[in-house]
Amino acid sequence: QEFRFGSCRAKGVDLQELWEAFWAVKDAVQAQDNITSARLLRREVLQDVSDAESCHLIQALLKFYLNTVFKHYYKRTVEFRTLKSFSTLANNFIAIKSQLRPSQENEMFPVTERARGRFLLFQRAFRRLDREAAVTKAFGEVDILLTWMERFYRL
Amino acid sequence: HLAQDTSDLLQHVKFQSSNFENILTWDGGPESTPDTVYSVEYKTYGEREWLAKEGCQRIPRRSCNLTVETGNITEFYYARVTAVSSGGRSATKMTDRFSSLQHTTIKPPDVTCIPKVRSIQMIVHPTPIPVHAGDGHQLTLEDVFHDLFYRLELHINHTYQMHLEGKQREYEFFGLTPDTEFLGTITIFIPTWSKESAPYVCRVKTLPDRTWT
Amino acid sequence: GAVAILPAPQNLSVHSTNMKHLLIWSPVIIPGETVYYSVEYQGEYESLYTSHVWIPSSWCSLMEEPECDVTDDITATVPYNLRVRATLGSQSSAWSTLTQPFNRNSTILTPPGMELTKDGFHLVIELEDLGPQFEFLVAYWKREAGAKEHVKTVSSGGIPLHLVTMEPGAAYCVKAQTFVKAIGRHSAFSQAECVEVQGEVLPL
Repeated sequence: QEFRFGSCRAKGVDLQELWEAFWAVKDAVQAQDNITSARLLRREVLQDVSDAESCHLIQALLKFYLNTVFKHYYKRTVEFRTLKSFSTLANNFIAIKSQLRPSQENEMFPVTERARGRFLLFQRAFRRLDREAAVTKAFGEVDILLTWMERFYRL
Repeated sequence: HLAQDTSDLLQHVKFQSSNFENILTWDGGPESTPDTVYSVEYKTYGEREWLAKEGCQRIPRRSCNLTVETGNITEFYYARVTAVSSGGRSATKMTDRFSSLQHTTIKPPDVTCIPKVRSIQMIVHPTPIPVHAGDGHQLTLEDVFHDLFYRLELHINHTYQMHLEGKQREYEFFGLTPDTEFLGTITIFIPTWSKESAPYVCRVKTLPDRTWT
Repeated sequence: GAVAILPAPQNLSVHSTNMKHLLIWSPVIIPGETVYYSVEYQGEYESLYTSHVWIPSSWCSLMEEPECDVTDDITATVPYNLRVRATLGSQSSAWSTLTQPFNRNSTILTPPGMELTKDGFHLVIELEDLGPQFEFLVAYWKREAGAKEHVKTVSSGGIPLHLVTMEPGAAYCVKAQTFVKAIGRHSAFSQAECVEVQGEVLPL
């Protein structure tokens, strides 16, 4: 079983393990997000992503989640069960990201630009919100990310 | 959620979903009376507007079918219920964020078990669901979940089992004793989503062997 | 007098077999006293991004045995730091940290236990139950010159399963190996075992 984001491969990750880690905290985390009229990972970010774009996009999203979302959310994670689920998600995101090798050839420029455009849509939506609310909303949208990643998962 | 505690009028507002049939259910609180009426609204996560569900406005019953309104399986939804008691008090409660892909449970498959002399054939029928593709055609569970597979078990005199498993629809257990009863169970598995249906059970007897009579 | 400082546990190591990870260490001996131990872990994420964060192990807070099953804590295929400290009354030792981080892809995979039985012409196999992370690859063949090897994937152990309907008078041989999806590794094959339709199980 592995992820296949275009030419990128990521092994050693059990998607079921990620889902179960998120489901353990989903309702509690999403209940903290009172802004039901805004969504960061909107359709325009994730819909109709080509295989070639997918590796660039997932790398940017995972990097953002690791560097920004998880890092800030950790400070507020005191509840023991959340901390464990959190650690499972963060460490599996690292396991995936460390295996991604998006191609850097020149002819890929239009693809990388499209992927970058999608990521910027997400990042701008994130920055439009207050930092605490944005971090909470982004963590609550991990299921949207996992639902999208599932399409690239092969048993 | 409302700061004021209104759980005495309205409780447990949630979606119950099975094979993508999405039903909103709730309970009245200790203060609710038979003439309390309920109104349902729903919206897509990320949208601003709440939409009233036609057919579930000022109703006395405590459930409402939102299958059509929550039919886009890649979307996430909220629903909320407003209860109004005869004394004019009201309460509103919202569901958790709902995704039918994550929440729906899987019903047992529909199977035809066909006994023969030394084998039993099993044909699994596709499971239509109330979800439609862009071009309008109705989808099946197999269309939605690409890692869906069936596991078939034939229990042999309580001591061991024969197992078959796969994505195809037709299976046959061979090498069986004629004129003998077997218990078959067929289960749907969707590993990535940690979903497993209850088993379809068929009790079937192989035909007598009349070759030498 | 000066309060003796409780020594930290020493000689930490992880013994990992078939995805069961056991952290062990040398016990801290204080004559006439019971010393308790607590274990914490840190995945690669915590050590890179929030190095001050250590997470208490699921099962090992203030326990007496000098060992801890950290299987439920290791939930990604990345390096994990593990540490232990001793506690006696109100006094706690310094933390002792595993010298080398542990990664679950280094677990030792043993060939699976396997039991063959017959019911008439049915050859029945029961494989060792190693938990949900394991699948099994079962190879079987008729013991004759040029025989073709058949392969079957079995998704769980602990259930007696029909493997093949045998031909009268023939002998069949079977071997099995495990496969762990989460780390993408196989065990070695087990020793082959053979069964004759009318005879007993024969070693190779």
